Amino acid sequence: MPTLQQQIAEKFLRKLSESEDVDDAKITQLRILFADSKKLKADDLVKVFVQPAGGDLK
Amino acid sequence: MIKLESAHIEEVRGIRKLDLVFNKEKFAISGPNGSGKSGVIDAIEFGLTGHIGRLAGKGTKGLSVSEHGPHVDKTKFPDAAFVTLRVFLTELGKSVTITRKLTSPNKPKIEPADDDVKAVLAEIAAHPEITLSRREILRFILVEPTTRSEEIQTILKLDEIGQARSALNTAQNRLQAAHKTATAQVDSARSAIQLHLQIATLKAEHVLEAANKRRKVLDLLAIAELTADTKLDAGLSSTAKASDFNKESALRDLKALAEAAKGFPDLARTEATAVIADLARLEADPALLRALQRRSFVENGLDFVDGPECPLCDTPWKNEQHLREHLKTKLAKSEEAKQLQQSLLSNGLAIAEKAIRVAGLLAPVQKLAGARGESAFAQVLTAWKGELEALKKKLANVDGITGLTDRLKGDWLEMPKALPENLKSLTATLEALPDQTATLDAQTFLATAQVRLVDYREAMRKNEAAKIALNGARVAYDTYCAVLEDELNALYEEVQQDFSTYYRAINEEDESTFTAKLTPTEGSLGLEVNFYERGLFPPAAYHSEGHQDGMGVCLYLALMKRLFGKRFTFALLDDVVMSVDAGHRYQFCKLLKTHFPDTQFIITTHDRLWAEQMKSAGLVSAKTSIAFHSWTIDTGPLVESNLEIWDEIGAALAKGKVEAAAGALRHHLEYVSRHLADQIGATPQFRADGNYELGELLPSVLKRMKELCGKAADAAQSWGNDTDKEAAGTRKAVLSSSNAAMNVEQWAVNKAVHYNEWANFGKRDFEPVVAAFKELLGCFSCERCEAWLHVTPRGTPESLRCACNAVNLNLKPKPK
Repeated sequence: MPTLQQQIAEKFLRKLSESEDVDDAKITQLRILFADSKKLKADDLVKVFVQPAGGDLK
Repeated sequence: MIKLESAHIEEVRGIRKLDLVFNKEKFAISGPNGSGKSGVIDAIEFGLTGHIGRLAGKGTKGLSVSEHGPHVDKTKFPDAAFVTLRVFLTELGKSVTITRKLTSPNKPKIEPADDDVKAVLAEIAAHPEITLSRREILRFILVEPTTRSEEIQTILKLDEIGQARSALNTAQNRLQAAHKTATAQVDSARSAIQLHLQIATLKAEHVLEAANKRRKVLDLLAIAELTADTKLDAGLSSTAKASDFNKESALRDLKALAEAAKGFPDLARTEATAVIADLARLEADPALLRALQRRSFVENGLDFVDGPECPLCDTPWKNEQHLREHLKTKLAKSEEAKQLQQSLLSNGLAIAEKAIRVAGLLAPVQKLAGARGESAFAQVLTAWKGELEALKKKLANVDGITGLTDRLKGDWLEMPKALPENLKSLTATLEALPDQTATLDAQTFLATAQVRLVDYREAMRKNEAAKIALNGARVAYDTYCAVLEDELNALYEEVQQDFSTYYRAINEEDESTFTAKLTPTEGSLGLEVNFYERGLFPPAAYHSEGHQDGMGVCLYLALMKRLFGKRFTFALLDDVVMSVDAGHRYQFCKLLKTHFPDTQFIITTHDRLWAEQMKSAGLVSAKTSIAFHSWTIDTGPLVESNLEIWDEIGAALAKGKVEAAAGALRHHLEYVSRHLADQIGATPQFRADGNYELGELLPSVLKRMKELCGKAADAAQSWGNDTDKEAAGTRKAVLSSSNAAMNVEQWAVNKAVHYNEWANFGKRDFEPVVAAFKELLGCFSCERCEAWLHVTPRGTPESLRCACNAVNLNLKPKPK
C-alpha cells in the first residue's frame, strides 16, 4: 500500500504532466527526486526547473 | 506488519529478568502502580525501535536510553541490559528474532538478517506511535489546533509532505529572485543598446532604421527584417569588425555614466532606509535578533538534518522526526522574525537590481578606459564592478544584509571618489580625438551595435529561461498545494468518520448519534464534536474528562488505521484504557474485537478489575494476560499467575520461608476474592470506601457461589439436564466440604495468613492451609481455560460460565 506521501507525489506528478508549463524531461527528473530522495532539497528542484535553459527570443 | 510472539527482557528499566509469551494474541498486563507494567512496554518499544518514549520528549531533559534504560543496579554494567523479541512478520509470513542491547540501541541483532526482514523492522522502528501512553492521549484532544495539527501530522508522517511543499516553495522563491535579477540585466542591456542606437524604444524598425542608416554609408545592403540571427554588422570585413570604438557612442556612454553618477548618492535610498530601519529594530530588540539569527540558523540546520543527531549542536534526539518537529516549532515561533526577514530580502533584492544597472553602465566605460590606455581608471572600474557583484550576493541573504548596516546608512554604492574626475578626463581625451570619418563612424557604430545586440539577446534569453523556470516552479508548487489540500481533506474526512464510528461504538447507549468535525486550515486542525445533537463544540466544552479520554483513544485508533490500513497489526496501549470510564469498558472491548480483529494490542492497566473485565469480554483470556502483584528493586515485577502462585508458595515453603508463602497466599486471596465478588455478584456489606477486608469478602464470595450452584442445580433439574445438575451439585459439594471453606472465616482473619504473625507457624502447619485454599479456589475456575467463572448478564444473571464456555451452567429454571 503506497504511503500518503507516495500517493500525493504520484497525483502531483500526474497533474503536472497535464500542464503545459512543465515539460516531460523536468517531470521525469522530478519523479526521480520524489522517488529517490526522502528529503527533497530546494537546490535540487532549482536545478530541475532551470534546465534546459529555454528561451524563445527571435 | 508485525505481531509479537514472545519477549525476553533482562535488566531493562525496572525488570531484572522476565519472559513473556504473547502468541500473536491481544494481551493484557495488569498490576498496581509501580509494579513494572510500563517497564515491559518500555522494553518492547526499545526492542522494536531502539527508543524508549518515556525517556524522550517534554519533561525528560537529562534522561537518556543509554544511561537510564538499564536497571538502576546495572548502570555500571549496561551490557547486561537487553531485550530479545520473537516477532512474526505478517506480510512475509516468517518469524524473526531481534536482540537489542541498551549499549547499542541502533545495532540490533536480527536473525535471520534478510533484507526484507530488515526493511520491515526498519519501518517499525520509524513508527514510535505504535506506543500510546496515558500521558500522550489527550494530546489529540485538549490542545490548540496548531498543536493538534502538528501532533497528527507527526503521527501520520506528514512532515515529509510538508517538507516537500517547503522545498518547492523555497525553490520558487529562489527562482523568483533569479528572475528579477535577470530582468534587471535585460534592462541594463536594453539601456546600453538604446543609448548606442539613440532610440527611445527598442523596436525592430527603430533598430533597423539606425543600423541601415550606417549601412548605407558603407554601401551595404539594408536589412529588411530583424530576425533571431540578424547581424547588424553583416557584410563588414573582419578587420572592420575588430574595432568597435565609436567616438560618439563612447562619449554617450561616458556621459550616461557621469549623469547617472550624480544620482548615485540617492540611488535606492528608500529601500536602503527601509533596510536600516529593519536592522535598527533588530538592534533594539535582541530577542528579535536572536529569533532571526536562529531562524536562519535553524533553516540551515533543517536542510542538513539526516538522522536523529542535531546537525547544529550534535544533541541526540529520539529520532529524526522529533528533531525535525523541534526545529520546525522554533521556526514557527519566530513569525515576527519571518516578516522582518521577508522585508529585508525584498529590499535587498531591490537594491541589488540597482547595483546591476550601475554595473551595466560601468561595463562599456571599463572597456573603453582599458582600450584608451587609462589602465589605472580601468582597474578602478574593474575593482568597483567586482565589488558591486559581491554586494549583490550579500544582499541575497539576511546574514549578508546584516553585515551591510554601516554601508547602507551612507553611500552604499561606494562609488570611487575619483570617478567624476576620471570620467571628465577620459571624456576630454576622447573629445580631443579627431572626428572619425563617416566610414569609420559607420563601421564602429555597426560593430558596437552588434556587440550590444548580442548582449541584449543573451540577457533576454537568460531572462526568458529564468521566467520559464520560475513559471514551472510556480505551477509545480501550486499543483502540489492543490493535490496536498485535496488529499488532506480526504484524509481528515476519513479519520473523522472512523473517529466518530469508534466513539459511537463505545458510547452507544448515550451518544449513538455522535459526530465529529475535523477542520484543517493552514497549519492548524480544528476539532469539534457533537454534544447530544445540540451542535458542534470543542471537546472540552461539555464532554466529561472521561469522555474526552475516550475521544483520545478513538482518534488514535482512527489515525493508526489511516496510517497503516490493514497493516495495523500491533500497538502498545500503556494504561490508556483506564481513561475509558468503567461504564463503557465492555463496549471498548467490543470495539477492539470487532473493528481491529487482526491487531495485537498489548494493553497495560493498573486496575485489576478492568483487567478481568477484558477477560470476561473475551478480549483476552487467562492465557493471554498476566498480573503483577508487586515489584521490588531486587526482583523486578512479581508475577501473579493462577498456575504459578501455587508453585511460588510451594517453593517458599520448601525453603522454610513460611512468611513469604503466607504473604503470597494472602495477597492472592485478596485479589481473587475481590475479583470473584465482582465476577459472580457477591454481596458483602457495602463499604463506601471500597476497602473490603479479606475476612468480609471471602465468606461472601463463598456464600454466593454456593447459592449460584444451588440455582444451577435447580434449573438443570427443571429442564431435566442431569449432566448440569451433577456438575453444579458436585461443585457445590466440594465447596461445602472444603477444609478451607469450613475454616474460611477463621483462616481468613487468622494472622497466620497475614503478613506478620507467622512465627508460631511451621512449614507443616501451613501446608494444609495452602492445599485447602487451592482446592477451594479450584471451584471458582474452569479447568480447561483456567479463567475465573462469572455470571452473565450482570445484575440478573442467567448463566454461570467461564471464558471458553466449557463451564456454562444455566441459572434460569424452566417456566412452569
